[in-house]
This record gives sequence, C-alpha cells and structure tokens, in this order.
Amino acid sequence: MKTSFTPFLAGLFCIVGISSIVADQSPASLLDERLASVVVVEFAIEHELDRTLNYINGIVIDDDGTVILESSAISDRATPGQLVDFKIYRPGYPTTQYATADYLGQDGYTTWHFVKVQPEGRTGLRPITDFAAADPAAMPVIGEKIWGIGLRQKDEDFAPYYLSSQVSLIQRLPQLTGVALGSVAGRGCPLFNEAGEFIGMGASGFGQRMMIYSQRRRGEMSVLINPDEAAGFRLAAEVYPAIGRIPDNLFGRPLPWFGIDGINPVGPEVAEFLGLGSTTGLVISELLSGSPAEEGGLMPRDIIIALDGMPLPRLKPDGVVAAHLMREILKREPGDTLSLTILRDQLELELPIELGDAPKTPKEAARNYFEELGITIRETVFSDVVARREDPSSLIGAIAHFIKPSSPAGTAGLRVDDWIKEIDGTAVVDYEQALELFGAAESSGRPEVVMLVSRGGETSVMRVKIDE
Amino acid sequence: MTRLVLLSLVGTLLVTASMAETSRGFKRLLDAVVRIDVREFAYEAGSKRFQSGVGSGVIVSDDGLILTNAHVVGLRAVDINVTLANLERVSAELVGWDHWTDLALLRLDAEELKRKGHKFTVGRFGDSDDLDPGETVYAVGTPHGLTRTVTRGIISNPRRFFADSRGVKGYETGQFNTWLQTDAAINPGNSGGPLVTSDGRIVGINSRGYSGADNLGFAIPSSTARRVMTGLAEDGAIERSYVGIVPGALRDLEDFYDLELNTGMLINSVDPGSPAAEAGMRGGDILLKINGERVDGRFPEQLPPIKNMIAVRPIGSELTLSIKRGDSTDDYTVTTEELVSRVGDESVVEIWGLSIREVSRPFARENQLPNDEGVLVIGVQRGFPAQVAGLSTGDVITKINNTPIASIADILKQAEAYEELPDKVLVEARRKFRVSLYVLKP
Repeated sequence: MKTSFTPFLAGLFCIVGISSIVADQSPASLLDERLASVVVVEFAIEHELDRTLNYINGIVIDDDGTVILESSAISDRATPGQLVDFKIYRPGYPTTQYATADYLGQDGYTTWHFVKVQPEGRTGLRPITDFAAADPAAMPVIGEKIWGIGLRQKDEDFAPYYLSSQVSLIQRLPQLTGVALGSVAGRGCPLFNEAGEFIGMGASGFGQRMMIYSQRRRGEMSVLINPDEAAGFRLAAEVYPAIGRIPDNLFGRPLPWFGIDGINPVGPEVAEFLGLGSTTGLVISELLSGSPAEEGGLMPRDIIIALDGMPLPRLKPDGVVAAHLMREILKREPGDTLSLTILRDQLELELPIELGDAPKTPKEAARNYFEELGITIRETVFSDVVARREDPSSLIGAIAHFIKPSSPAGTAGLRVDDWIKEIDGTAVVDYEQALELFGAAESSGRPEVVMLVSRGGETSVMRVKIDE
Repeated sequence: MTRLVLLSLVGTLLVTASMAETSRGFKRLLDAVVRIDVREFAYEAGSKRFQSGVGSGVIVSDDGLILTNAHVVGLRAVDINVTLANLERVSAELVGWDHWTDLALLRLDAEELKRKGHKFTVGRFGDSDDLDPGETVYAVGTPHGLTRTVTRGIISNPRRFFADSRGVKGYETGQFNTWLQTDAAINPGNSGGPLVTSDGRIVGINSRGYSGADNLGFAIPSSTARRVMTGLAEDGAIERSYVGIVPGALRDLEDFYDLELNTGMLINSVDPGSPAAEAGMRGGDILLKINGERVDGRFPEQLPPIKNMIAVRPIGSELTLSIKRGDSTDDYTVTTEELVSRVGDESVVEIWGLSIREVSRPFARENQLPNDEGVLVIGVQRGFPAQVAGLSTGDVITKINNTPIASIADILKQAEAYEELPDKVLVEARRKFRVSLYVLKP
C-alpha cells in the first residue's frame, strides 16, 4: 500500500512547500479559505416512473475539478445510466449560480464515487491537498482539538458553519477512522487540526447506543444517528489514495475477482482453540463455481490465516477482518497473485491464487422497461444465480428489476427480483430472448403473457393480463 | 303496537326453540362434549419446559374415543385431563395425531371410568358434504376456559381452502382438506369441540378463527374427520404418499394451455430431488390424469382433494401421471415417497442449554440447503455454553470436534462425552449459507 503512493507523497511535499498554511489565522479565515475545497453535488436518479434529487457533500481532490463522494452517496441499485443532471454548488453562494459536472464512476478499492466539474466551474476551487499536513501520514492524536465544516440545506444556500471537537478514538475498520467527542463535520465535509491542516472527512453511520428510558416499558437499546453531522471521520490517509485512483470507466474496471462467499471471522475463543495466538482466521463458507478461488484449490470450510505471508490481524470488531480481506483483494488487479495460508483439517497449506476479472455486476447488466406490462427486466448476471443457489455457469432467464404498482405485472403478483425463466411457454436462454419475447407479447395484441417465474427456489406460473 | 312486538318476539323464540334447544339429538350431543386440560413439555430455549393449555373435544365411540385438534393435544402431552358433561374429571391418553388435518384422537381411561362410575353419551356424525351456505350451526366447547359454552351461527362457506405452513404447533396443515367456515363465535379454547347442526349432528371439528376479525371461524369437515379418525384409531398416525408437485389453479389459463374447461391441474413447481423431479416433470406442466383418473384443478378449492388423491396411496406405490407439456401428452411413472413434515424430531442438550431439531428434507428444501444433514438449533438458554459461544436459533450444526453431525443421536453422543469430561468443544455451524466456528466451554 505504501509503495504505490510514494510518488504521490513526494509530489505532495512540493505542494506543501509552496502552500501557505499559517498557524495563527483565526478560525473564521481558516474556514473561509478551506471552503474552496468543499462543494455540494446535486444529481437526479431517473427511475421508471419518477426521478429523485440528491444532494451530497463532496471534496475537491485535484486541479482538474475532480470531486470525491462517499460510497453510500449513491444507491447501489442505481446504474450510472440513471444518474443525470450533476450540478455543483459552492457553500454560501446563491443556488442560482452552479456549475455542471459529469459522473466518472466508482473505484472498487476505495469505494469513493468520482465526479468531474466542467472547466468553467473550476474557478475558485482548490484541491484539499493544498491544506495537507507537512507529513500527510501523521495521525491525529487522542485529545487533539479538531474542527470541521458543516453545511446547511439548499434553502439556506448551503451556508457553511463551524464545528469543533476533540479526537476520542482512532481505529482501523479496516479504513483508518477517527471518532470525535461530538459532531465535528458534515457528512462528506473535511476536518482540520488547529493549524488548518486537512486530517479527515466526515463519515456516515456513527451511531451511539442510547437507552430510551420509559416508566412504562423496560428500556431498549436504540442507535441514534445524526444524518447531517458526523462524529466519525475517515482519516486523510484514506482520502489521498483517491487521487491516484480516478476511474477511467463508470464501473471502476478492471475489478479483481477472488470468488468466495460468506467469509466469517473466527472469534477470539476459536482463534485460541485453533492455536492462532494473537492473530485470527476467516472461515470460507462457499466457493463460487468457476472462480479463481475454486480453481486455485480452496475448499469450503478452509480457514484463511495469512495473506502473502502476513498473518491476519485481529481487527475489532471481528467482522472488520473480513472487510480487510476484501480490501486486500480489491486493491490488486486481475492477474495478480495472492498467496493464502490456510488451515484445512488442522494442517497449514500455502495456496497461490491468481485473481481473475470480476463477472458482470447487476449494475452493469442491461435492462429495459416495458411500459404496457409495467415491468423492468434486467440481464441475469453471475451473482443473481449464485444468490438463488443455482449453477451460475448458465445465466438463463431475466430478473424482474422493477414492478410498477398496480400495473398488469404487479397485479399478476410479480415481485422485484423474481427470476423469469419462461415466457409464453418458451424457455428463456438469455436476456436478448427475453426482450424479444416481451416485445412480441406487447405487440401481438394477445390479452396475456404467461411466465414461469422462480422465487425462493420454487417456480410458479403467472398470467399477466395486458390492458386493452 | 306493543302487542305486535311482543307477539313477534314470542314467535322468534318458538322457532328457535324448535331448532335446537328442545331437540333430543342436541341434548345428547351436549353430553358428549368435553373440556380437555393438557400439560405438555417443549424443548424451548435450551431446556425442557412444561406448558399447559385448555381445549375442547367430543366423545365419538362407546369405548371413550375423543376427537379433538392436533394443536390442543400434541405428541408431548404428559397429562391429559378430560372434564365430562357432569363436570367430573377423568384422565385420557393420546391414541393418534395428524397435524395435516389438525386432528388428534384420545381415549378415556376405561379403568378410571369404571371405578368412578361415570357415564357419557356418544356424539353422532352428520354429513359435512351436504351442508349449504346459510345453514344454522352451533359450536360447543370451552372458549377461554368457559366450560360448556354454546354459540350459534351459520355455515358461511362449506368449502374454504387454505393451507397454513406453520398452523399446528409449527407443523403444516390444511393441504389435504378444505374447511367449513362459520360465523358461530369461535374463541381460543373452542378448539377441538364439535360444530353441529340443530339436531346435534357433528359436521365439523372447530379448529381456528381469524384473530382480529369478526366471526371468521373454521372447522375440519366431519367427512375428513371420520376418515382420519379411523386411521388414527388403527395406526396412531396417517401415512401419506408424496411425489413432490406443488399445484396451482388453472383458472384463466385454459386458453394458454389449449385445454377444455375443467380439465387438468397446473403444476406450479416441482420439488428438487423429489420423485416427480426425478421423473422429469417440471413447473408449468399440466397434470391431466392420475392412474387414468381425470383431475380437475380449475379453482383453488379443488386442489386439496387432488393432493389427497396422491396422499392416500400407499407409500411406494407406482403412479402413472399423464402430463401435458406444450402440444404433447406423456405418461410419467413415479414411485411415491413418504410425506414428511418440515418439523423434524426434537431434543435438548441441557448441559449446553441447546434445543435441537433434525433437519428434514422439506426444511432443507425450503431453506435451499445442500442436503438434510446437520441438526437445527431451535433455542438456546441464556448464560449456558451454547448461547455464550454465540450459537443461536436457526443455526445448523454440521460438525462437533471435527466429527460430522447428521442426526440428534450424533450430538447427544458428543454431549455425553462432554458430560463425562468437560472440555472445550469446537462446533461448526451454518447460519443461512455462512459457516462459522464456535467454542463451547465448561
């Protein structure tokens, strides 16, 4: 990880050399200056029946107008083709002034989404690296005073405001993550130390367990999450790698593929029982048919204990170890070899696995909406068949991706994620055939389409009555 | 005006009286209805626990056989107390149990009856197939423990179809019979009591009502109850045949399949690995005949009798199923297997605080498990080794200390060894499709 970013770090030192971080500036002027790295990205997701507008805070990472957004900013079900009308707002400026932008895609390893601001909108933007610390690898320390930027809503021109707190905890999840004593930045907005050096980005999903006290009912644990502001943040060291990983295609390809399903960390008791000492292991539940892991000789129930000779670290909570393995895979490229040490029947084995090219994902699958029937069908991809516990070597049929409520398809009882295997008595061998058959049914003037649909391993015949 | 109202009131009373209260048959029936108090155990939450319940029943033979619901008296009943019409109590034992039709058969303790000198009458059956919607019926039983309660209503629908995959103590029910629907008030505790006509003939065994709804009660028709009763009296259980087809109603699909109306039954799905699947049948096929006998599955109400046509054949029978697929019709020969429930045998390992159940073929199929090996966790006791290690309800234990676990016996053997020499035990279990390891510690 370190080696691949060394050239970048060297470059950064130059930038730092010429940048002017002045320690004795007032919080107001520090904030004002750093707003040049913060934007609000507006985009629409086009659905079959409507479109939804989204507003996400982003950070500018270079001089070419590249902006990164956190991975959860865009729904996994939305394909790049559905993402339209990207607009860039500057905090505090009238919202009638905006720039347009293009969606570049998502990086598989860092999971950031990337957006590029059109050249005319780049004036006044500054990359966050302008505010990098002299030593970008330096970690914030517990108790250190930190501050961040929050943004109001659109009706208040996304007005910026100041938040501050102290570092409470630093942890690997497996991303380097900090937690502050309280809300310290808006989600997706930057955080700084007292000198104004960039130290992280407000992250989502930091909940505190709270007891709801009631005199009538016994207390239950609930998790309260502030959707606007975050006490948790990804450290700057997690943001900088984005600069070297701007995707040149919408799906962040090439994506490496390993091909195991259900990797479960062993708990400390089991690790001790297996004699793993202070390290840990990951149990492999299943191997995907035809995957590099299967071809490399892995077996279900093997326990991975080391990667490239490095024992798996005991990250907490236990589940983080599985994410660590996935990241280790995703930062490599197809064709790279990963050397695994595994435990099988209490014997240690060394297995080199050559990573493959990931099969097409649901996001990449072709799809089409049939207005009259009220259904969007999508190409069947590898993960669909795996999830349905069938043999993924043949990707037959089509998947119901959207069902319009009270439409002919909806009334007939079809549901999202149904697997359509036959249309009008013909077995559907692939998506193209499903398109043809649906098209023919819609234009035939026949009053119905009859499908054989699989759901939860059981099939049923469904009759879709077409409106006159 | 006042007189008119009075007259009409008297008139109503007279009519009603002639319907049931004064009928000798009805009085005789009342003397055959009993209250049933049951104490049974369950392997809940990692220990063997007792629970008790109250239901109803009706005496149907001179030697003291009582018909009730399978969900009133189960296979784990340890104490069955029957309250006769004279309010005296006599104990009884379970003779037979059939969750598919929600029926159980008990027998009064003859010795005790004789010793105490108690008498009872025997209820008489009517013909449930002759019932019409609107006909007056009475439900007799013990709603909410209120012994000897009679409620009145009508037959709302004589052939209601519904199957409930967990309706009887978690077991399947309703796949092989239709139900009588009535608006006679049926409350918890009415279960197992008779639904009778005004002359006191038993036409159904009250079984269930929609909770939260008004007056939607259901009873097992007497035609089904009598048939099952005979089987239970002889063998204690009803064996049924299974071929693995999931039927669907053909209604509105006749044109598509190019069929005459009232011909054939749609096969919606074929269970993987079942006799029907092995024979090459699949979802979307049309079943025309069973051993040359035509079937008509146009409406959902017609499906249970067709399923029953297969179920009543002896296990291992060869059936010839005529199947239409596209334009061709072919005969498929299938050999039936024994129908089993999704719910397997249960047990408990108290030292680990672990309630367990065999993984049955239907359970494995429903959950898309690769096979029926392993043992399902159905409960854990707080603070005991299984719960502390992280095992929870729904896990399927596949290995203990690297020994494969195929059945409850395999687990009990491991538990025995642990009891003799308590030491750490490594357990491999699957939760959905994920494999995890756990260590049970003394």
